[in-house]
Amino acid sequence: MIKDTRKILLFLISFLFLLISCLPFHSAWGGEELRIADSAGDWGYPNPFRHYPRGPGYVRMSFIFDTLIWKNNNGFIPALAESWNYNPSDMTFTFHLNSNAKWHDGKPVTGEDVAFTVEYFRTHPYRFIKIADIEDVQPEDGNTVVFRLSTPYAPFLSIIGASMPILPKHIWETVEKPEVYDDPKAFVGSGPYLFGDFDKTKGTYLYRAFVDYYLGCPKVDRLIYIRSANPLLSLTSGEADLANIRPEMAKHLAKKGMTVISDEHGWVKKLMVNHKKWPLSETRFRKALAYAINQSEIIEKSHRGFASPASYGLLSVDHEMYNPAVPTYPYNPAKSIQLLESLGFTKNQSGMFQKNGKELKLELLCSTITAAGENVADRDGEVIKNQLQHIGIEIELIHMERTTADVHIKKWDFDLALSGHGGITGDPVIMNQMILSSYGGGSVNSSRYDENRQLNEILEKSVSEMDHKKRTELVYEAQMIYATELPSIALYYPHAFSAYNPEKSVHWFYTKGGMATGIPISQNKTALIR
Amino acid sequence: MKMEGKELRIKTFLSHNTRRIMTYLIAAFLLILLGYYLPRVLPGDYVTAMYSQSQAIITEEEEAWLKAEYADKESFCEYIIALVTLDWGYSLVFSEPVSDLIFSALPWTLFLLGSAHLLAMIIGFIAGVEAAWRRGPLEKLSVGLMTFLEGAPEIATGILLLFIFALVLGWFPAAGGETAYAGYGMFRWGLDVLYHTILPFITLFFAYLPGNFLLARGSMIVILKSPFLKTAYAKGLPSLRVRYGHGARNALLPVVTRFGLRFSFMLTGALVVETIFSYPGLGTLLFKSIALRDLPLIQAIVLFSSLLVLTVNIALEICYRFLDPRVRNET
Repeated sequence: MIKDTRKILLFLISFLFLLISCLPFHSAWGGEELRIADSAGDWGYPNPFRHYPRGPGYVRMSFIFDTLIWKNNNGFIPALAESWNYNPSDMTFTFHLNSNAKWHDGKPVTGEDVAFTVEYFRTHPYRFIKIADIEDVQPEDGNTVVFRLSTPYAPFLSIIGASMPILPKHIWETVEKPEVYDDPKAFVGSGPYLFGDFDKTKGTYLYRAFVDYYLGCPKVDRLIYIRSANPLLSLTSGEADLANIRPEMAKHLAKKGMTVISDEHGWVKKLMVNHKKWPLSETRFRKALAYAINQSEIIEKSHRGFASPASYGLLSVDHEMYNPAVPTYPYNPAKSIQLLESLGFTKNQSGMFQKNGKELKLELLCSTITAAGENVADRDGEVIKNQLQHIGIEIELIHMERTTADVHIKKWDFDLALSGHGGITGDPVIMNQMILSSYGGGSVNSSRYDENRQLNEILEKSVSEMDHKKRTELVYEAQMIYATELPSIALYYPHAFSAYNPEKSVHWFYTKGGMATGIPISQNKTALIR
Repeated sequence: MKMEGKELRIKTFLSHNTRRIMTYLIAAFLLILLGYYLPRVLPGDYVTAMYSQSQAIITEEEEAWLKAEYADKESFCEYIIALVTLDWGYSLVFSEPVSDLIFSALPWTLFLLGSAHLLAMIIGFIAGVEAAWRRGPLEKLSVGLMTFLEGAPEIATGILLLFIFALVLGWFPAAGGETAYAGYGMFRWGLDVLYHTILPFITLFFAYLPGNFLLARGSMIVILKSPFLKTAYAKGLPSLRVRYGHGARNALLPVVTRFGLRFSFMLTGALVVETIFSYPGLGTLLFKSIALRDLPLIQAIVLFSSLLVLTVNIALEICYRFLDPRVRNET
């Protein structure tokens, strides 16, 4: 019996050694491949109708489906369209397509495909783009296509040109239910990569290089997404070549030979205010909150300094239309108290504000927030609670599951809530979406603030103003009013970092203004093109 | 007279088992009812979960249209009919049959948790029996160690293992159930899966082992005082047979009960380990389906897990009959 046990033990130990001697396990694939780690993994099937309506879902789709134009650090660059122009007299955008552009099945990309895409999205909407202002789309010859607008639409190039994936007409014209269309042809695009596989359970994606890509053969043969809750470990162990990282990891990874890149201030954390409920409906009260909140303290305590104070005008300080003259609310408890007293609040014996015998008490909702595809637990609530209690506002901090908190915010069943979003370095139409209910009423991040008619008019005008200089003036003005009215209070821009393995000869970068509608992720496909 | 006795036994057996079958049927119905209504109590819906914080910013009209499109229109009766016809519905998130999703995640869960459970039970049981049998400083040390491990949460063990073996030593991978798209042959793939499973397996093994060890040891200590063991010794039976054939067999019942209860919980109970090691499985699938309010998927996983609890209970009863003659004679 004892001898048998020893034999088994010996066998097990030998097996373990054999196993370890085989380490580390590398792919048996002989060609060039690149692996990207992502903590969530699954972002839906990479086609326009089946990816999640989130930035990482769009990015996964963008490797397969090209748009008319694209963005890099210099702004708009040619993609399917080699050149484009706008004719203000008849409100038309004309795009000249690259004659070498091909679908993955070898057929040429034509103006017919572009016109078809717009018509198809009218009946089967793609939520990333807004095509209501397109009157019609006419393919003039094989490689030219003209978009006629019903009204001037300033965000056209950003929201449609650089965001609308072009579909192959010969595949989709017979598809009636694109959401459930799972034929392999549903992944035939004109982008640099062919769809290989998506494993929902493991959260992995496989792409293969499209060697006939019209802008040149991609640098790596296989692009793979893996799910990893520990990007630092995956990067250092060589399991991944690119990942979003926490700012505190940056130095460590740089020492290990990784290249660390950082984003501009493209994502803002903000305090949502229920401006439909008294006293939060009073501008003076919202200003009192802004003066009582110390942005720097939140950044130091919650983020160890890895964030920058946000502009109260919503648009990022890195945006070309950022107005540096917007009002600011530097930490000033005395001024905050003064504003509250001007609204008739007085302090009770315990030092807390009250009015008509009723204590001033507010609820603050907190939940996990997704920033650039990574779930971030909220740590700011506690700091803000202390800051507001310090001046005499009683705060009840409520931590909720994200969707539950969203339901409360959508129903206006809250006082204060912490929230955040990207897109603030992209097209300034983000201001319309994050302020007016007619643009972003379905988003929990939108203030849905329609009370100020002047702000409404300016924002509407800014969308239809095709002159860049005039539009900038309007956006400047909108920021001024927004920062004065404070329908929500911008807090900070968290610092976003990615790290990649430079040995793969792919130099990743964060796109200026974000990809497409302003996605602040470092996985721009142009980094993979020779 | 002999015939009457046999008939009586058959009648007793039937009445006893009919009652039991009826109890299980009622329990199954209640579980189905629970599986249908429980996910519907969750605040929010698929559209709110998917679009509220989306990069694709939608208007109120678009939101209303989407909500109408994805509204839950299935009544309980329709749900029952669909279940009977083996139509468990389509996932809102993946637009795929939920059964496909469950069965693609299930093998990973069963492999990781099943092996950790089984091995922790076998080793925990043997170690517990041996500790009770031998008594002494080694036993005291092992009890102390196991008590410590019992108190250590999976998340702490997992992170510690990751830190030492993945970050510092670099011996094991930090994430996944396999090297994605490695293109290995069957043998190499098997090794690769084992290699990826080692750290999550050890985490779970050390989470499950102490309970089994302490339970087996406790039961065995009580059994060792029983007179029937003295009789077995007096008959001159070898020590190993007395220990396992007579003693340990009686200590097995609570350990098997524990295994059964844990097994039913295991399908969705490994979320922490699955998350830390980015390991595929049902826990992650359920978490995701709840976060995105994918109603058909939630209700299918809830139903699947609860029916499994029922099945395991039935299996345990059968096991008891084999393990304990008293239970067999009762029925």
